[in-house]
Amino acid sequence: MTAQPLLQITGLDVGYGHVGVLRDVALAVAPGSIVALVGSNGAGKSTLLRAISGLLRPSAGRIVFEAGDIAGWRPHRIVDLGIMQVAEGRRLFRRQSVHDNLELGLVGARLDRAAEAERYSAVYDLFPALRERPDVRAGVLSGGQQQMLAIAQALMRRPRLLMLDEPSLGLAPVIVDQLIDVILRLRAGGTTILLVEQMVERALEIADHAYVLQNGVVIGHGTPADIRAGDLIRRAYLGAGSEHATSD
Amino acid sequence: MDLDLIPAGLTAGSLYALVAMGFNILYRPTNVFNFAQGDLVMLGAMVGASVMALAGLPWLAGAAAAMLCVAVLALVEERVAVAPVLKRSAHGHSWVITTLAISMIIGNLVGRIWGPDPIAVKPPAPLSTETFYLLGMAVSSYQLALIAVTLLLVFGVEGFYRTRSGKAVMAVAEDRDAALLRGIDPDRLSRWSFFLGGAVAALTGILAAPLLYASTGLGPSLLLKGFAAAAVGGIGNNRGALLAGYIIGMAEAVGAAVLSPGYQLAMVFAVMLVILLIRPHGLFGSAEARTV
Repeated sequence: MTAQPLLQITGLDVGYGHVGVLRDVALAVAPGSIVALVGSNGAGKSTLLRAISGLLRPSAGRIVFEAGDIAGWRPHRIVDLGIMQVAEGRRLFRRQSVHDNLELGLVGARLDRAAEAERYSAVYDLFPALRERPDVRAGVLSGGQQQMLAIAQALMRRPRLLMLDEPSLGLAPVIVDQLIDVILRLRAGGTTILLVEQMVERALEIADHAYVLQNGVVIGHGTPADIRAGDLIRRAYLGAGSEHATSD
Repeated sequence: MDLDLIPAGLTAGSLYALVAMGFNILYRPTNVFNFAQGDLVMLGAMVGASVMALAGLPWLAGAAAAMLCVAVLALVEERVAVAPVLKRSAHGHSWVITTLAISMIIGNLVGRIWGPDPIAVKPPAPLSTETFYLLGMAVSSYQLALIAVTLLLVFGVEGFYRTRSGKAVMAVAEDRDAALLRGIDPDRLSRWSFFLGGAVAALTGILAAPLLYASTGLGPSLLLKGFAAAAVGGIGNNRGALLAGYIIGMAEAVGAAVLSPGYQLAMVFAVMLVILLIRPHGLFGSAEARTV
């Protein structure tokens, strides 16, 4: 990576109350790339995304987006900079319609009418199934459509960094294929993507770079080929204390 | 049964619906139930009555002064008693104590400044509290105006929730973290909601004053019945609050006529208990909860 990273995290410690979750995490995301963040349940992947989005305040370290340190900023200001997260579990506003959910992606965007119309048509082009039912309540959509709507909502703000937390969770394989297609199209359009995924192999297929997280620590990173060649994944998924377990 | 009960019940019910709507406006973006709401209503009545009856200024001047004054006070309440508590934990319940404290402070200060004597307030001209007969019911022009103004206010406020800011408030009510991740600033919405809720409370007090007098006793009685209307209608639902206000106002009027005026409050809470036993989330609340 020769280009200046879009996002650079160094020495990051994050915890809930007195319980530390992330320790001394360092991570860099190059502009226009897909970076995958893999690791077992409870490794701290979602915690890292929550810290980047400003939902959690780090106790130490720097989160540098472009040139500025955003650690500890309030979430809406981080969104204003162009960082959007699609949280785990398709956190939509289920009582509101598809159209209203998209509109809620625009709160604080300060665009004129024409620019807004252009945003709607761009996300409807990416997700044609949503265009057919703008007045349906989000809560009654299928799981796949809800995930598409959640991503579409985040895209209304044209984020420069899109963070996706477990987008494939609970979706049928054919829907996951569509999702991967969308992620690749977004990268082709210039959006940088930080992808947290349980389905490691699917994530490595499309990632330019991957980080492996275990027990709140980055235990390694590299290209997907590097990751596959080493035993990082086995260590990350075969439980705690693996430093000792793999020493022989 | 006496037909006069209908305008009496609807008038009282309108006031309860307005108190409930004040609760709901503050509740939506914060999940905080403002125990000082009754005192905000009472303070609105006292300020309005002082400007109109004591200083002799026109009704509109009194209403504007009271609404501005109480809205600013509600904003101060949000900054002092609610925001710091929610900052520590968005799902904590310390606001029960802090808003109750604000209620007592306002109640004591108003008692000290204005004293215990009720102030009589005349309705704005050309309205009057003199009754005439309409379809066999004794009703005053002021009662009719109050019922109409309440309807306009409820539907006007509901219209606000169809704007983008209103949808953002509903988004915060449904999922605060998800709203934060979309760039919505709940603090800003909560400040505006307290300001607006304070203005609605003051207007409620001013509207109530020609019928009930402006006095320190106005707060507690409207607080209880307004709370009942909010609970029966489904917390956060203003159309539910309107219907529930009417039901409670009618129950109270019928209870007073059929049993005895002493049973008014018992009637109100009997009706509330029965409705909440059948629909625990209120008349309009369960339909929303079921969609989740």
